[in-house]
Amino acid sequence: MIWHIAKRELYDNLNSLRFALATMLLLGLMLTNAITHLREHPERVQKYRDAVAKHQSLLTSHAENSLYELAQQGPGRLYKQPSPLRFCAEGGETFLSDHAEGGYHRWSTDTLKSFWILVYPSVTPNVDNVHPEVTKVDWSFIIGYVLSLIALLFTFDSISSERERGTLRLTLANSIPRHTVLIGKFLGALISINIPFILAVLVNLLVISTSSNVHLGTEAWERLGIIFIIAILYMCLFLVLGLLVSARVQRSAVSLVILLLVWVTFVVFMPGTLASIAGGSASSGPTRGFYEYSWQVHNELSAQYRSRRRNASENSTQKVQSAGEYVIKDAEQQERLHEERLKQRIDQVNRARIITRLSPVTIAQHLLESFAATGFERHLQFLENVQSYARQFRVFIADSDKADPESLHILGVRAGMSEKPVSPEAVPKFEDALNLSKDFNIAATELMLLMLFVVVLMSGAYLAFVRAEV
Amino acid sequence: MLITLIRRELLDNLMTFRFAVAIFIMLLLVVANTAVLLKDYDKRLASYNTAVKKNRQELLETKTYSAGHISLNRAPNPLSIFNIGLDKRLGNEIWISYVYMPTLWDANKHGTDNPFLNLFTSIDLVLIFQSVLSLLALIFAYDSLAGEYERGTLRLVLTHPVGRGYILFAKYIGAMICLLVPLLMSILLSLILLTTSPSISLSTDDFLRIGGIVFTSLVYLSLFYLIGMLISAMTRRTSTALMLAMFVWGFLVPVYPNMILTAVETAPKIGTEASAYNQIKQIWEKHDREQKQFLANDAFPGDDWDFNLIGTGYSFWGGEDDPLTLHYYDYTGSHLETLEEKYELRVPHAQNYHHFLGTNIINTVERAWLIRKPALETIYLQPARIGRMLLKVSPVGLYDGATEAWAGTDLKSIQDFFSAAQRHRRAIVNHFYDKEIFASRKWFTADQGAVDWNTLPQFSFQRSDIGTNAKRALPDLFLLMMINIILFTIILLIFVKSEV
Repeated sequence: MIWHIAKRELYDNLNSLRFALATMLLLGLMLTNAITHLREHPERVQKYRDAVAKHQSLLTSHAENSLYELAQQGPGRLYKQPSPLRFCAEGGETFLSDHAEGGYHRWSTDTLKSFWILVYPSVTPNVDNVHPEVTKVDWSFIIGYVLSLIALLFTFDSISSERERGTLRLTLANSIPRHTVLIGKFLGALISINIPFILAVLVNLLVISTSSNVHLGTEAWERLGIIFIIAILYMCLFLVLGLLVSARVQRSAVSLVILLLVWVTFVVFMPGTLASIAGGSASSGPTRGFYEYSWQVHNELSAQYRSRRRNASENSTQKVQSAGEYVIKDAEQQERLHEERLKQRIDQVNRARIITRLSPVTIAQHLLESFAATGFERHLQFLENVQSYARQFRVFIADSDKADPESLHILGVRAGMSEKPVSPEAVPKFEDALNLSKDFNIAATELMLLMLFVVVLMSGAYLAFVRAEV
Repeated sequence: MLITLIRRELLDNLMTFRFAVAIFIMLLLVVANTAVLLKDYDKRLASYNTAVKKNRQELLETKTYSAGHISLNRAPNPLSIFNIGLDKRLGNEIWISYVYMPTLWDANKHGTDNPFLNLFTSIDLVLIFQSVLSLLALIFAYDSLAGEYERGTLRLVLTHPVGRGYILFAKYIGAMICLLVPLLMSILLSLILLTTSPSISLSTDDFLRIGGIVFTSLVYLSLFYLIGMLISAMTRRTSTALMLAMFVWGFLVPVYPNMILTAVETAPKIGTEASAYNQIKQIWEKHDREQKQFLANDAFPGDDWDFNLIGTGYSFWGGEDDPLTLHYYDYTGSHLETLEEKYELRVPHAQNYHHFLGTNIINTVERAWLIRKPALETIYLQPARIGRMLLKVSPVGLYDGATEAWAGTDLKSIQDFFSAAQRHRRAIVNHFYDKEIFASRKWFTADQGAVDWNTLPQFSFQRSDIGTNAKRALPDLFLLMMINIILFTIILLIFVKSEV
C-alpha cells in the first residue's frame, strides 16, 4: 500500500511545474559548478606543485651545504595539498592559509643566528579584495540552500492540499493506517526530488571526470558516495519538516509561508548571526600587540644570556654551550608563543562552530567540508601533520648530529654542530596525508546530530498527522 | 471607490495568519541582528580609537622628521549596520609617507584579531529586507489576481463601473501599505536600538540617508510585488502562481548573484601586472642609480648614505616590494638624539644629500604613480566593476548597490577616504617643501631640538555629504523604478485584455 501511495505521489509530481523548474535549476547550478571547477582546479594543482618543487630544491641546497645550515634554516614552507573534491565544498579555503612557515628567520647577530620555528601565517584576502562578496556555487551551496528549498516546495502542500480538496478524507476512508499514508507521501516526495538531483549530480560528475585535467581516485569516489548520502539525509530533514507543517496547518498557502520563513531564519540568517554572537564574545587581541610581546620575551631572554656570558669563563666549550642553549631556548619560546596564539584563535572559531550547529545547514556544510577534505577541520588536520613533521625533522637533525664524531653535539650554534653535508634523500619529507577514517571520526558527532534532527522531526510529523483532524 | 478597494485589500492581507507570522519572524531577526551588529560596531569603534591614540602617541615620541610614522585611520561607518558593504572588509589604516602614494591596496587593518573569523558570513539589515520582505511581497502577490479569478470575486468586482486599471492600482497600493508596515516597524525598532546605544550619534544627514534606504527598500519590495502580480495575472491558477513565484524568488535572490559570480571570473587578474610592475621597478632603479651617483660625486665620505653620523639613536633603511599590488619603494632615514661633536663637519653634506634624496624620491613616486594608478584600475577595479554590473541583472544587485551607496559603504565612498589620504600626503609633501624640511637638520637628527608634530597639516575626513550619496544611489534606484513601471504596464496590458 505504501508503494501505491508513493507511486501516486510520484506521478503527481512528475507532471508538475515544480519538477521541471527544480530540474532546470539544479542542472544549471551543477553545470556551473563543474565548469568552474575545471577552470580553477588545474591552476590550483599546478601552483601547489610548483611551490612544493621550489621548497624541495631549497631544502636540498641547505642539506648539501651542511647539517648546521639545514638545522638553522629549517624545513621551509610546508604546503597544504589541494583537495580534488573542492567542488563539493569550498569550505572558506580562501580564508585559510595554504602553507605553514617552517623557516621563520627572526634575528641574527655577528656570531649567532636564530633557529627556525614553526609559525602559522594567516591570510586576509579581504584587504585588497574589492569585488562583491560571493558564496561560491559548490555542492554545499546547492545542497544546503537550493536543495533544501526545493524539498520544502515539494512537500508543503502534500497533506494540506489533499485536505483542501477533500481527497485525504477519501484516502483515509479506506482501511489504510495513517502512518502508511505519511510514509508513502514521504517516499514519493523523496523519490521525485531525487530524480532531478541525481540527474544533476551525474551530469556534474560526468563533466568533471571526463576532463583529463582532473583526476578522481578511488578514495575520492568513496568520499563522493558519503557526501551523496549526507545530501539525501539532509534532504529528508526538510521533507519531513514540510510534512510536519503541512499536517498541522489547514491551508497550503499558510503552510508555505511558515516553511519559507523557517527556512530563511534557519538557513540564511542563523549561521551568520550565531557566529557573530559566538565569535564576537572574545577577542584574541590585535596582531601588533602579539609581535611586540614576542619581541619583548626575546629581549628578556637575550639580556639574561648576555649577562651570563659576561660571567662565563673563557672556556670555549662552555661558551658554545651557553650560546647553543640560548638559541634553542629562544626558538622554543617563540614557537610556543605562536602555537598559543594559534590555539586561542582555533578555540574561538571552534566555539562559534559549535553554536552554529543549531542550524541544519551548517551541519550539512561542516559534514560536506569534512568529507571533501576542505575547510576548517581539514586545516586543523593539516596543522597537526605539520607539527608532527616538525618534531620528526628535529629528531632527524639531532640523530644525524650524533652520528658525526667530529661534532660537539651542541645544537644551536655553528661551532657546536656537524658541518658535514647531509644527503637530501635522507631528510624526512613532509606528507600531508588525508585520512578518510579520521575524517569520519571527526564528522561522526555532526552526522549523529543530523540524524537526530531527522528522527525528531519524523516523529513530530507522525504525531501531528495522527492527531490531525481531517 | 478607490478607497473602498484599497481598504478591502488591506483587510484581506493584514488579517491573515501569514502576515502575523511574517511580522513576528521579521522583527525577531531585526532585533537579534541589530543587537549583534551594534556590538560589532562598538568593537570596531573601540579598536579605531585605540589605533588613533596609539599612532598619535608613537608619532609624538619620534624626534626626527625622517623617522616619523604618520598613520591615518578610517573610522567605522555607523550606517554599516544597515548595509555593511565594504566597510568592514577593506583596510582601515594607512601609512602616509612621501615615499609612496597611499591607495586602498596599501592599507592594513588595525587590530585585526582572529583571521579565521572571516570564515563566517556577515549579516546586515538590508540582507533581511532583501530576502524576507521580498518573500513576503511575493506571498502577498501570488494570489492577488489568480485567487480572485479562481474564487470568481473578480467577476463580481468588475460588475461595478470601475476601470480595470483602478482595480489593479488599488490592489497595488493596498499591498504596498501592508508591506510598509513590517518595513517601517523593523526600521523603527532598529533605530530605537541605535539611538539608545551610547557609541552611535546619528546626524540629520544620517537620518536622511536612512530615509533613502527605506525608500529604496520600498521600491525594491514593489518590484517583487509586481513580479508576483505578473505571475499571478499570467497563470490564473493560484497553485501554479505560487510555485512559479517561489522559484523566481529562489533564482533571483539566493541563486543568481552567487551563480553568475562563480561562473564569470571576476577575481583580480593576478599575473597581468608583470609589465607594469617591471616598469615601476625600473623607475625606482633609476632613482637608485641617481642616488649612487650623487653619493659618488659628493666631496665627503663617499658612498655611505648615512654619512657615518654617529650619536645615540639609530639609522634605518627600509623598502617594500609587492608585485601583487605593484607596491615598490625604498627610503632611508635616521633617528639620532644626539650627535658626536667630531661629525659636525659632515652635517651640511648630509643635509644636502637628504634634500636631493627627498626631492628625487617624490619625483620618482609621481612617475611611478602614473603607471601604478591605471594598472591598479585594470587589475582590481575593472573586474570588480564587471562583477557588480553582472549582479545588477537581478533586482537584488540593484537594491544592494543603491543601499550601499546611501549608507556610504560602497567602493566609491571607501575610495573617498583614500583620495583624502592622498591629498593629505600632498599637503605634507608641500609642507616639507615650503619649510625646506628635507634640507633641515631635524630631518635626521634631534640634537638641536625635536620636531613639533603639531605644525604639520592636520588630517580630517568627512564622509561624503548626502548629495553625493544620493548621486551614487540614484542610477540604481532609477533602474529599479523603471523596471517597476515597465512591469506595471505589462500587468495592466495583460489584465485589461484578459477575459474574466
